Amino acid sequence: MPDPAELPLLEVENLSTGFFTEDGVVPAVDGVSFSLMRGRTLALVGESGSGKSVTAYSILRLIQPPGRITGGKILFRSARAGEIDLAALGEKSEALYKVRGGLISMIFQEPMTALSPVHSVGSQIAEAILLHRKVDKKEARRLTVEMLGQVGIAQAEMCFDQYPHELSGGMRQRVVIAMALVCRPELLIADESTTALDVTIQAQILGLIKTLQRGLGCSVLLITHDFGVVAQVADDVAVMHHGKIVEHGTVRAVLKNPQHAYTRALLEALPSRRVRVA
Amino acid sequence: MTHNPSPALSPLLSVRGLSKHFPVMSRGFRPKVTGVTKAVDDVSFDLAPGETLGLVGESGSGKTTTARCILRAIEPTAGQVLFRLPDGRTVDLASLSDRALKPLRQHAQMVFQDPFSSLNPRMTVGDIVGEPLVIHRLARGPELAERVAETLRRVGLKPEHRVRYPHAFSGGQRQRIGIARALIMRPSLIVCDEATSALDVTIQAQVLDLLKELQAEFRLTYLFVAHNLDVVRNFCDRVAVMRRGKIVELAPTARIFAAPEHPYTKLLLSAIPSSDPDVPMNFGVAEELAKLDR
Repeated sequence: MPDPAELPLLEVENLSTGFFTEDGVVPAVDGVSFSLMRGRTLALVGESGSGKSVTAYSILRLIQPPGRITGGKILFRSARAGEIDLAALGEKSEALYKVRGGLISMIFQEPMTALSPVHSVGSQIAEAILLHRKVDKKEARRLTVEMLGQVGIAQAEMCFDQYPHELSGGMRQRVVIAMALVCRPELLIADESTTALDVTIQAQILGLIKTLQRGLGCSVLLITHDFGVVAQVADDVAVMHHGKIVEHGTVRAVLKNPQHAYTRALLEALPSRRVRVA
Repeated sequence: MTHNPSPALSPLLSVRGLSKHFPVMSRGFRPKVTGVTKAVDDVSFDLAPGETLGLVGESGSGKTTTARCILRAIEPTAGQVLFRLPDGRTVDLASLSDRALKPLRQHAQMVFQDPFSSLNPRMTVGDIVGEPLVIHRLARGPELAERVAETLRRVGLKPEHRVRYPHAFSGGQRQRIGIARALIMRPSLIVCDEATSALDVTIQAQVLDLLKELQAEFRLTYLFVAHNLDVVRNFCDRVAVMRRGKIVELAPTARIFAAPEHPYTKLLLSAIPSSDPDVPMNFGVAEELAKLDR
């Protein structure tokens, strides 16, 4: 038997997710396969509508009707919980609740909508701890403050009792990252998590994700449309178009020597690579 | 460049000492003014006819407020906005009364960021694009229809699209509708406020190409407000970098990117993630910015 550490942490096989509308089925994800090794960062890149976010949502089983996973496997090899086929889990199964936020967590694009406006940021993070770990409230508070410190919030103790509207965009995104990482997930999914931020804050948050990833040893699935972010943060990249992966390889190989016509067209459209239009 | 702006030409737009201050109110039952936020603080620049000036900065830097003050979408606190009209007269847009300003508004138009919220969902595309002509009583009846059709064609849409509603169009097509609405007035100045920020890169490239074509054809002058420095590098003749309401550096595009002088410009440029994995980015830029302020 092969050493489980050498098998990919996440193996998506032939995943298909469709949306069932009155005008027929829209295949948002259409036979997608990829794998992600432990400790590595894979970027799923594509334009809006390419299916990259639907792929990520499918992994956490967050697809809402009329959408549905129509086929394929999502094998997640947890060091703590063993091998799980996420696609086969029941909608309301105990196992799925354990996975979400415990083994796999997600950072969303808009930190304002990802946080509840009527709960203090600390209580929102502590809620995740209380759900997934057997600790009391006092310990949850201590762990939360510690995590807030780790994501670079200077006055973590004070921040615990603050509300999202009292924080800047960059701080909110730090809170969301703290919430995602507080249960030490094995896989972190970041869905356009720096798209709404200014470049200087984006640089800081990307640096933070990289540092924390190294510290915690988790894998990262990065959903983005920005090839700059891909080049600077990811190890591997999969380019999505119309629900399919058209090219898959290391960042260096794909960005330096794209094989597929669509990848080349995308890269040529980047303002930094275009010939001046004047 | 096909439209090399000659420095000998007198500027189309001269902004002098433009400021916009917002009062800061205390909390409570009877709020008092406790200070001012200088959103735009003594901003001056010139815009030559046919030129494209990029106005860049982070959120809160005052770039959009500057653009809105120039068009009097909001009232500036102080300063002059000297605008040369097609008949050769120069007026100060900042000091004109609303009544005197209205007939001049046709010469300076705006294209907005969000192609979803800037188009009225209850109006047809034909009505949206034709409305400025109706408001200014410049055309009606068959002439209005003809000009709407012609403008739609010019921005890459079909004249038969005029009966449809905005929801039937993609983001890129909606931005073309917004451009048509500005273009139909035959303005000399168009302020583009993050006009391509919401678009995918391939669509963004098409819209930028369209703006360039229109500029050459109609001798348009652009004030291009953007936060994406890569887009500005590709599109603008000169760039003004704003921070905290002030322009910290204004120079030709090539010079800003090759040899930035102001430390803030340098830091801002170092934070852009390059799509070349061999060009490292500066992850520590926020800390260096904090040091800059100390």
